[in-house]
Amino acid sequence: MRRITVALVPLENVNHGWSRRDFLKALAGGVIVASAYPVVRRLARPHLYAETFIAKVTDYQSEIGDVIVRGLRKLGVTPAEIKDKRILLKPNLDETNSGANHINTHPLVIRGAVEAFLRLGADTVMVAEGPGHRRDTLDVLEESGLADVLWEDRIKFYDLNYLTGYTVQNTGGMTRLSTLTFPGIFKEVDWIVSMAKMKTHHWAGVTLSMKNLFGVMPGIYYGWPKNVLHHAGIENSILDINATLKPHFAIVDGIVGMEGDGPIMGTPRNVGALVMGRNPTAVDATAARMMGIEPRKIKYLAQADDWLGPIEEAYIQQTGETVVSVRTNFALLEKIPAHRGIRLAS
Amino acid sequence: MSLTSSTLEHVEADLLTRVHADGGFSHHRAGSYRADATAWAIIALYSFDNDKKRLQLSIARLMADQRGDGSLGISTDHPEAFWPTSLAVLAGHLSTHDGQHQARAIQFLLSTTGRHWEKSSSDPMAHNPALKGWPWIAETHSWVEPTAISMTALRVAGYARHARIEEATRMLMDRQLPHGGWNCGNTIVFGQELRPAPESTGAALHALAGLIPRESVQNSLEYLSTVVTRLHTPIAVGWSLLALNSWGAAPSNLSSLVEDCLKRQERYGPYDTTSLCLLVLPLLRPNGLLGTSAGTV
Repeated sequence: MRRITVALVPLENVNHGWSRRDFLKALAGGVIVASAYPVVRRLARPHLYAETFIAKVTDYQSEIGDVIVRGLRKLGVTPAEIKDKRILLKPNLDETNSGANHINTHPLVIRGAVEAFLRLGADTVMVAEGPGHRRDTLDVLEESGLADVLWEDRIKFYDLNYLTGYTVQNTGGMTRLSTLTFPGIFKEVDWIVSMAKMKTHHWAGVTLSMKNLFGVMPGIYYGWPKNVLHHAGIENSILDINATLKPHFAIVDGIVGMEGDGPIMGTPRNVGALVMGRNPTAVDATAARMMGIEPRKIKYLAQADDWLGPIEEAYIQQTGETVVSVRTNFALLEKIPAHRGIRLAS
Repeated sequence: MSLTSSTLEHVEADLLTRVHADGGFSHHRAGSYRADATAWAIIALYSFDNDKKRLQLSIARLMADQRGDGSLGISTDHPEAFWPTSLAVLAGHLSTHDGQHQARAIQFLLSTTGRHWEKSSSDPMAHNPALKGWPWIAETHSWVEPTAISMTALRVAGYARHARIEEATRMLMDRQLPHGGWNCGNTIVFGQELRPAPESTGAALHALAGLIPRESVQNSLEYLSTVVTRLHTPIAVGWSLLALNSWGAAPSNLSSLVEDCLKRQERYGPYDTTSLCLLVLPLLRPNGLLGTSAGTV
């Protein structure tokens, strides 16, 4: 059972930049234009609430499975909920740079998540990814070190780039794409878990559990890179994919993240933490704060607010460590427009 | 160590387990029909000198889904994903199939470019977006691999001197990384040179063999010759060896690289049809898909 609750908040209390009178006047005058749509959407919706869990994890040799089990329990994920479920873990695997552990979701975090879900009674836990830049996904698996972990633990892997897909209505409605095509394996699983890396991103500001879902879109339909989504708009595509797919859980690997020119060419940044939750929007807002980034300044997070989940601290119940205790300001580059003005005030 | 003929026979037999009664091939064993798998299977089986009559049936199945504009989508409900068109041209010509379907597919390639625009001074990407190659998907930009495969198909089909090949050659050279190699198609972004990928480098070098002087791709050849020794996976190994074959630079342990990669199926399970075909093609076509070693111009 999802524990995200909804509460009605008086319209006058919402700090949206328009007064109620302004809004009603505009509505009456029929002057609401497309650019005001996110504001209208926020006004039309009550606030959403969600819980996130932060755990300090100093290095990849830690007992990560234990940490994730603790997080799942804190977040109210019970063995009864997971028993006999088929769980699909979707890590972030980009192109690799031998020896670097700041590009991809670390294999030992993935192993920890597999262990955790199996301990809670899952029937099957599988790993699936469709890298955006590389056609040879198996080479990315080998180079990242994930292949060895999957082999040792006998974990099934699916290459999402080449799986025949099924097409559904795009329920997000933010891009011109009327439908989205997902890999067929998604019809056979009960839970989809986005397992992102904590990174800055030179087009989107940050890439976390929501942006990570670009990797579920099969390359055979969206290309390498997923250029259909780029032409449709990166931020709006993130929203459409998340709104339509509705992943069940998110875990962000911030043990070592990437700062600067992410998602590929940046430098390692130790945060020493994992963040997780049932609501990817709330998880990403929390992760952004951990990186010293204001979630409201990230366009897709601001648009997701109170639609796909909450981003304000007031509406995110924080368990485990506090954001302040793990906050590590990630380097932002002035030459990158998506990085300008997004620093979280101290 | 050399690859035994029984190993190759096993691969051929494996491929034939994936053919349907109508001649189409599936991506995996016991899967549904896929255009890309069928095209690659035709190319590989023709190179195995497999039953030509059977291959004609496979080509007929491939072309059965051709659209009025000459294109072939990855599936009938995704016509915008027309990248298998170049594979169909390649399959048709390598297996000496000719005819109206083929001509329409070629015409589609010659008339299709995707999205291009003039470079602006504020563009954070270094490549020239005005140079036309081919995209994976309709209404998107040109990328390295679909351009390389389309060039290969058109060259095999006799269009080596066409203006589209000349422009695509310039496009690929523009996308070559300053330190050598290619990736999916971005070179320098926000002032940082990106990393090469072996399969992209292999496809680009294979397409360019015979069109440009060796010295202009020397860094890329060196990158590929180095990286191929640590590769264990079929798409990267297949394209790398096809390219090195084409430039007369095949490694002496080519067979063992393929053998090692085939053995990895113990770890990954049976390879998909495209991967399996790409992996054995360097052994079956020692001069590459273009048919002649073009190490010098």
